[in-house]
Amino acid sequence: MVDLRTTWLDQVLASPVVLGASPLSHDVEQIVAAVEAGAGAVVMYSLFEEQVISEQMAAHHFIDARVDTNAEASGFLPDVDVFSLGAEPYLKQLQLLRDKVNVPVIASLNGTTPGGWTDYARACEARGADAIELNLYDVITSLDESGKDVESRQLAVVQAVAHSVNIPVTVKLSPFYTSVPAMVRRIENAGARGVTIFNRFYQPDVDLETLGVDRRLTLSTSRELPMRLHALAVLSPHTKLDLACTGGVHTGQDAAKALLCGADVIQLTSVLLERGPAYVRTIIDELRAWLAQTGYVSSDEARGVLSMGTAPDAHVWERLNYIRLLDGWRSRPGAR
Amino acid sequence: MIAAPKDPVRSAKYKTLDANEAVASVAYRLSEVIAIYPITPASAMGEHADAWSADLKPNLWGRVPEVAEMQSEGGAAGAVHGALMTGSLTTTFTASQGLLLMLPNLYKIAGELTPFVLHVAARTLATHALSIFGDHSDVMSARMTGMALLCSGNAQEAQDLAAISHAVTLRARIPVMHFFDGFRTSHEITKVATLNDDTLRVLLDEGALAAFRARGLDPDHPSIRGTAQNPDAWFQGREACEPFYAAFPALLDETFARFAELTARTYQCFEYVGAPDADRVIIMMGSGAECAHETVEHLTAQGEKVGVLKVRLFRPWSPRHLLAVLPTSVNRIAVLDRTKEPGSAGEPLLLEVTQALSDAVADGTRFAMPRAVGGRYGLSSKEFTPAMVKSIFSELAKNKPKSRFTVGIRDDVSGSSLPWDADDDIEPDDVQRAIFFGLGSDGTVSANKATIKIIGEKTPKYAQGHFEYDSRKSGSTTISYLRFGPRPIRSTYRVSRAQFIAVHDPEFLERRDVFAAAMPGATILVNTVVPAEKFFDSLPLEVQRQLVEKHCHVHVIDGYGVAERAGLGRRINTVMQACYFALAQVLPFADAMDHIKASVVATYGRRGAEVVKRNIVALDTAIAQLKEITIPSVISTTRLRAPVVQGKVPEFVERVTRVLLEGNGDLLPVSAFPPDGTWPTGTSRFEKRAIAQEIPTWNEDLCVQCNFCSMICPHAAIQTKVYAPDALAGAPEGFKSIAQDIYPTLEGMRYTVQIAPEDCTGCGLCIEVCPAKDRKQPSRKALMATPLDLYREKERAAFAFYETIPSASLTGIEIEKRSAALRLPLFEFSGACAGCGETPYIRLLTQLYGDRLVMANATGCSSIYGGNLPTSPYTTNAEGRGPAWANSLFEDNAEFGFGMRLSLDAQAARARSLVAVMSHRLPDELAEGLLMPAGHDDAYIALQRARVHALHQVLARDPSAEAKVLRELAHHLVPRSLWIVGGDGWAYDIGFGGLDHVLASHKNVNVLVLDTEVYSNTGGQASKATPLGAAAKFATSGKATRKKDLGLLAMSYGHVYVAQVAMQSKSQQTVEVLLEAERHPGPSLVIAHSPCIAHGYDLIKSPQQQKRAVDSGMWPLYHYDPSRVDRGESPLVLDSPEPRLDVAKYMENEARFRMVELRSSERYAMLLDAARDGVKQRRALYEQMAKIHLPPEHQNG
Repeated sequence: MVDLRTTWLDQVLASPVVLGASPLSHDVEQIVAAVEAGAGAVVMYSLFEEQVISEQMAAHHFIDARVDTNAEASGFLPDVDVFSLGAEPYLKQLQLLRDKVNVPVIASLNGTTPGGWTDYARACEARGADAIELNLYDVITSLDESGKDVESRQLAVVQAVAHSVNIPVTVKLSPFYTSVPAMVRRIENAGARGVTIFNRFYQPDVDLETLGVDRRLTLSTSRELPMRLHALAVLSPHTKLDLACTGGVHTGQDAAKALLCGADVIQLTSVLLERGPAYVRTIIDELRAWLAQTGYVSSDEARGVLSMGTAPDAHVWERLNYIRLLDGWRSRPGAR
Repeated sequence: MIAAPKDPVRSAKYKTLDANEAVASVAYRLSEVIAIYPITPASAMGEHADAWSADLKPNLWGRVPEVAEMQSEGGAAGAVHGALMTGSLTTTFTASQGLLLMLPNLYKIAGELTPFVLHVAARTLATHALSIFGDHSDVMSARMTGMALLCSGNAQEAQDLAAISHAVTLRARIPVMHFFDGFRTSHEITKVATLNDDTLRVLLDEGALAAFRARGLDPDHPSIRGTAQNPDAWFQGREACEPFYAAFPALLDETFARFAELTARTYQCFEYVGAPDADRVIIMMGSGAECAHETVEHLTAQGEKVGVLKVRLFRPWSPRHLLAVLPTSVNRIAVLDRTKEPGSAGEPLLLEVTQALSDAVADGTRFAMPRAVGGRYGLSSKEFTPAMVKSIFSELAKNKPKSRFTVGIRDDVSGSSLPWDADDDIEPDDVQRAIFFGLGSDGTVSANKATIKIIGEKTPKYAQGHFEYDSRKSGSTTISYLRFGPRPIRSTYRVSRAQFIAVHDPEFLERRDVFAAAMPGATILVNTVVPAEKFFDSLPLEVQRQLVEKHCHVHVIDGYGVAERAGLGRRINTVMQACYFALAQVLPFADAMDHIKASVVATYGRRGAEVVKRNIVALDTAIAQLKEITIPSVISTTRLRAPVVQGKVPEFVERVTRVLLEGNGDLLPVSAFPPDGTWPTGTSRFEKRAIAQEIPTWNEDLCVQCNFCSMICPHAAIQTKVYAPDALAGAPEGFKSIAQDIYPTLEGMRYTVQIAPEDCTGCGLCIEVCPAKDRKQPSRKALMATPLDLYREKERAAFAFYETIPSASLTGIEIEKRSAALRLPLFEFSGACAGCGETPYIRLLTQLYGDRLVMANATGCSSIYGGNLPTSPYTTNAEGRGPAWANSLFEDNAEFGFGMRLSLDAQAARARSLVAVMSHRLPDELAEGLLMPAGHDDAYIALQRARVHALHQVLARDPSAEAKVLRELAHHLVPRSLWIVGGDGWAYDIGFGGLDHVLASHKNVNVLVLDTEVYSNTGGQASKATPLGAAAKFATSGKATRKKDLGLLAMSYGHVYVAQVAMQSKSQQTVEVLLEAERHPGPSLVIAHSPCIAHGYDLIKSPQQQKRAVDSGMWPLYHYDPSRVDRGESPLVLDSPEPRLDVAKYMENEARFRMVELRSSERYAMLLDAARDGVKQRRALYEQMAKIHLPPEHQNG
């Protein structure tokens, strides 16, 4: 039997296959099913500070501000001591998940203000989160903000959060940095304990009928995996950070690839939204079968063997464009 | 047994409360069952009870009372009766019409000697008009039920007498109706020493409680009640209760005494205040007695021999108690009643008092009969002031005082009224008085409530806050009157001289006399964007003059700017509150700021930190922006305030409506008013409220003439018209039009989209639904939001011109969603909420049938925006025709409309028979034409009107008796379109029985249910139309049962045309349904999805949200047309496709569902699943029904 035990963010997991941040974690039953199917940890859906704020302000505007406006109606919805619109619903769900599953639960945060990040991180820690995943995502539209400015701001956030909690902090990155390795090093220096490679986003689209802009979130496919594999392979020999792969893992074979490139854990999201939480077992079974079939006794043994440090043809990771170009010009055997 | 506290005064805890909350707190803790139904101004008591039970707050016995909302007050009374019958302590709350609906059960409950307390926020009964305000006409209509009647005059008393009522009823077995004045007491916030649980516990007699429980129906000890008795038994049985009534006053005395031991607050059945040797005394009850008390103290200090006798116990009437406190020196008495009993010898209290005196004189217990006169005051919350009290004493001092009088009005018809000096004021200078003019939406009242709380609870001062609202639901104005002083405040009337006046919206300066009450040297605070240095010059002459002459200290702040920069939109409540404390100096400013911040945390913190954060920022930045203005010694302008009603207006509008709109209705004499409550229509157009920040402007180059804008506008403030090009002659500069290009038969005509800038509420729906985009600049649409100030003058002129343009004839053009919107709306500029989802249906109804429309309108939002003075939104066309509208009650609207139908049909039948009788004297084609089967389209109506006109010409020359009758009835030969309109509270709940009965008839009535899925007018209480999963008041944790399928119930009759529509997302189906419903010869029921602010989202999104309701199957569209059976078709047609959107996608966008999820995600998930199941099952049922083919019915005759 192949040993899948993995250490990630100070926690020993039964399996490197974990649940990535997704709407699945809104539903405790689904999470319980995924854990029963072998998921080694659960990353909760993201707490978006901006959303919390906009919901608070909307409630203020459409519920609280309609109080005392009319002689006949004291307000138009029940007096609402009964619910709060801060982080509380998220924290309650976190606590519930902690109570229901016996694997680590990682809270995921997306903040917009310096105070917001640290406040929410501390609150998550207090309510039992085993780690924090910072979901760093900025949509830059300003012509005046340079890449350096953005990175500095993000690093300040990482540092502030990492120093405000005693649990490990991992950072979920977008692929859009000029130098991902340099950014990862700075994240490491800022006090983070891991990175998650890579975030996926809502994509804007154009509605030709209404001349409008739309946005949608499409599920990933295995085709998105190679970009992640590359980053893992490049990073894993050079960083002490725990590496999580997310985006594009749909089979046990995909998971094996990520492992070979250096991922400590593999986060599943789209595949479970498509096939249900119990599909974790299929992926683990496939991964285990491949490892066994290939002769590995543990996942640790396979981890990183195809990284840039140890791969037999490591230069391939470095010269993607160049190699392709040469291949295109290379004469095929038999050709004149 | 718990002993009384050693020093009850010191140990008292004070809170600032209104009577509704104070009373509810006592009633809740002393009850096990609470059956409720919302009605103004008592709704808040039920809402508090519901909220506390949702929070699992226990009663005195550690249990959470069962709180149940019923379908009507009649239902609540029935539930109360049952709960009492089986031994549970039970209470309820009501007012006005609700109390009338309870009467039958009150007789029963009292007849059975059942301990029970009913708390009433006393309110005017509807007579010539409805009024939500306060007087005693409701409780006086219940005085014969056998209930004891106890009256409170202020919130402290209301709380205390509530407790005393619950205690005494148990011992005496007489049920108690405890009442206090609606709004003046129910809503006025004052400092109240609260009652703790221990006090309540000690007050209750445990033995009496055990006896009450023991009397509960119990099969272990069976008995029967509610028997029917015969002449041999009934009378004696009825008299058997008499000892209980005789014993009541003494038991009440004992309870008062016990209460005084516990709290040091003393009460008596009658309480006399004034000179012990008074010669003149006023006898009265309720809040007015507080004003009289204050005035009497003022007068006796000046040596006058006057007094006031406050009546607390009105039933059982105790002459012994009355006479015990009435000084024997009294020789003149004025008995004041806050009710009117037309045609009576006198109002109820007067009769009781005079009878008591006459009996006393007759039996020798009193030496002489004082002269007793009776007066009416304060009806419908009319002001009752010290000056009026003085005028009553002056009248009593006359040789021959009026035996019956009114005070507070000028009665130039019957001469009943006493004059009073409106400038007289007795308020001492150590009471700080402030007036705040605010908008309903800006948070002024909430801020003032917070201020009262701070001063009332953090300082030794006594505090009072009274709030007035107008009856508009959009752009409403509020006036707050605050008093703070060293003594309990008995001034139960408006502040007429204030040391502080705040104007929270600068528009008030242009529309009303806001500084009339400013005392010399008053501090003035104005929220304005005008820079401080330009402010004085920007004011109209009248305002400048007042500020100069009164030497006011004026301060300005751009409150909107501060609030907007802090991310609070236009909520300026905390900003202005900080300014008030900075200027008024009622307590050290730093302390005040700490208290305000604490109150912000307490009020908003429960929702999350952001609102708190932004308010704190606003508070911290406000004071720096506050600037004092130096008022020059001379005025600097000749500009007068623009008249509220401008231009040439009808005589009635000039004489009456204008005065009401100016806020001076109190000055109008009796003669100004129609004696039967009949008012002219077409008057909302004179208001020109200009409440929008932004209005739409039309980019005609992009317009596709879809008319979506005019079809969705809730206020008919954007209109569309097609007209002949020559009508453009004389158009003002900038008036826009384009070539009509939709209808071939109207080729060559012009088309205009016109905004009524001063009638628009700025809801933005027209812009939201406008589909026409500039291809080169997609953010530019055919309608764009622009600041009102920039376009007001231009668009005002354009709209005035637009109204003069005659519409092209639309005869022959099929009525569909586009052409319907070209027809003239005869419902315009109502006071409904911005974005209202109800009013577009009514507007459309008037566009289709307005010139022949008769409407019966149930009480509710639609009767308020449809019929609340000062103006009417129903209007007339160029021929003077338009909707004829009436509201009867809440519960009876279907029957009311049904009666109208019977009447109209009878008159039409009589007219037709007379035409038949006279046919030989009429031109051949005329009689034949007149008697042809009625059509429904415009062409038929026009032709029939022409025939009626021709008939009148013939009749004018005919001296016969039948011609005379026919002249009076001939107009009935043109069909009347009868629509019965109301909300879901009426149709699903309180009026359902009547609606069901009317639908079961074969009469040609049309019913339009404006379904907001909640009681909107009274503030969002659940109805049986509330969907599963939604939170509403009385369903705080989310309604667990499905929405009643009213349409399905109506379909079960088979002959009723039934449809469900959603106009904002599928207006074509709505138009078709309204046409079919009108054509259907029997009853029709149209259930209309009506987005409402009570759903908790921005109504600008209501078209999308309504589409989600339809697409998710939560609001299926269909029509059930019985005539299809005869054509061999299934009567039910589904007009919306198979649900294609998950119910969650619909629910997650409305706060009423979202708050259920936030409270408990498990419950939400459970309710969501149940809602999904409901959608599936309903769809499956409808789909099967839509396939059913029924055999046609045999035609009778």
